[in-house]
Amino acid sequence: MTSTPLTADARAPSLLPAAWAAFRIGAGQTAAGWTVLAGRCLFYTLIMVVISALWDKVAAEQVAGAIRLSGDLAIYVGATEWITLSLPALHIKFEDEIRGGQLEPHLLRPKPYLLMTFAQSLGGALVRMAALGATGMTLLLLSGRARPPMEAFGYLAVLGVLALIVGMLLYGLAGLGAFWARRVLPFQLVIQKLMFLLGGLFAPISLYPGWLRQVGEASPFAAHLYWAGAQVMAPSFGMFATALAWQGFWIVVLTGGWVILWRAGLAKVLREGGA
Amino acid sequence: MSAAITVRQLSKAYSYARRRPGLSGLFSKDQVIVEAVAGVDFTIQPGERVAIIGPNGAGKSTTLKMLSGILEPSGGSATVLGLVPWRDRKALAYRIGVVFGQRSQLWGELPARDSFNLLRHIYDQDVAVFARRLGDLTERFALADILDQPVNRMSLGQRMRCEITASLLHGPNLLFLDEPTIGLDVTAKAAIRDFIREHARDHGQTVLLTSHDTRDIELVCDRVIVVNQGRIVVDQPTAELRKRFLGRKIITFQSAGAGVSLDLPGVTRRASEAHATILEVDTRVTRVELVIAAALAAGGIEDVTIEDPPMEEVIHDIYAAHG
Repeated sequence: MTSTPLTADARAPSLLPAAWAAFRIGAGQTAAGWTVLAGRCLFYTLIMVVISALWDKVAAEQVAGAIRLSGDLAIYVGATEWITLSLPALHIKFEDEIRGGQLEPHLLRPKPYLLMTFAQSLGGALVRMAALGATGMTLLLLSGRARPPMEAFGYLAVLGVLALIVGMLLYGLAGLGAFWARRVLPFQLVIQKLMFLLGGLFAPISLYPGWLRQVGEASPFAAHLYWAGAQVMAPSFGMFATALAWQGFWIVVLTGGWVILWRAGLAKVLREGGA
Repeated sequence: MSAAITVRQLSKAYSYARRRPGLSGLFSKDQVIVEAVAGVDFTIQPGERVAIIGPNGAGKSTTLKMLSGILEPSGGSATVLGLVPWRDRKALAYRIGVVFGQRSQLWGELPARDSFNLLRHIYDQDVAVFARRLGDLTERFALADILDQPVNRMSLGQRMRCEITASLLHGPNLLFLDEPTIGLDVTAKAAIRDFIREHARDHGQTVLLTSHDTRDIELVCDRVIVVNQGRIVVDQPTAELRKRFLGRKIITFQSAGAGVSLDLPGVTRRASEAHATILEVDTRVTRVELVIAAALAAGGIEDVTIEDPPMEEVIHDIYAAHG
């Protein structure tokens, strides 16, 4: 080894290159685990086969008095499942690291833990999204269904990525609960159920009565699933813009929630020590 | 030259709620306060290699955590490289390296090379400087063959070499090591100790380590701070401590037949078991190899193990001497 005095040979501190490096690592890791990715695409295929069969039967039997929706519900579920299956298990990662005492090495670094973790998880999630998107498009082509208009895919691509971020922020909030709770599973289950009820996981919330629909549309759960999924049912620039506004709003609010919970949790760890 | 670390009356107390026995425990709890560090004072000069030793729960790791900025003290003050660690945690992070023997700072699922590259961005390191440091450390630690291996598939010894490499890539002035050789085999321990000592000496780096292993202290550090129950019991050069307290070895002879019986100065027999004779050797009086040679000459020896006295005993002796 060369015998040189140690100096701080650092560039000016900046967040973006580090976050970008973490993002690329996350993407690379997910791509490298291609067998897991392939398994997820197979699972997506299985879900779509079952859901398509269900919704096609409902549409074919023309139940008297049933509400009719324009568009193909199977493609709607294809879009919402595309987003759901792309999500990383950020809440479990937070729980493991906070409860397992693995936070300390991260706190000894000059870059924010939340930013680095989010960037790495987002990198992986976008690779999953690309693979699942390709699977979905292939299934759509093979199914011979009527395709939504081309602009629907453009809207879906933009809103899908933002929906993914909303979902990560939502589940991340549950994960940050690990600073105070031994297990975050209860928080996760509540979010999952609300995703069914207000997010429109398997059926669009436009089926709800007016007042409930308005509540659902304004919720972060719809910002995660419904607004993106609705684009393949009846795409319009107006709805796209409304969806963007709601997603932007919830990204800001949920990011604020992350910062508040993180600061409170970090203060607790610095005061009481890690697990 | 200003001190690398200055600690004044540093203390840390934890509190937890303990349920009262019986039915009343359902409604009320007692608040129990545990004093992990109770007002310690010391100063470490740049380039010093200092060990903090003590039994479990003595406050070693708590002290290290406070000095690295990840734990706020209950009282007292400390500066590390001119910064208050718990207030300037991120600024300090650029200037210190930390290794926790029982916690990995690497990304387990990533190859070590990817972890190192990510650390380059995290510490805003210049590419050329980083490449030179990584090259040096790879050569010194013989990492070339394992750089592309995921960290969670490495042996403990390989992982620890990578952990130390990771802690040095940003060129810290000060290295904190918490039990860096725990769980390692003899060869890996020796490699780690040699490296830490030589690297610190060559780069004028300050080292503060905690360990249960007296060899870590003897071979790496030139000063020892002994803590017990949150207080400093002894703070003196290693050579002095070695003379007084670290000159003993425990040798266990396994034999098929009767136990080993030796009559050598400085050798005392400890409570032994059937087929196992345990001797305590004062190495200042009789060298270990002489004891082993004498036992082998007597015949019937099947296995020999040489150990340091448990740290608790060393601490007990020190504590008794300073009681």
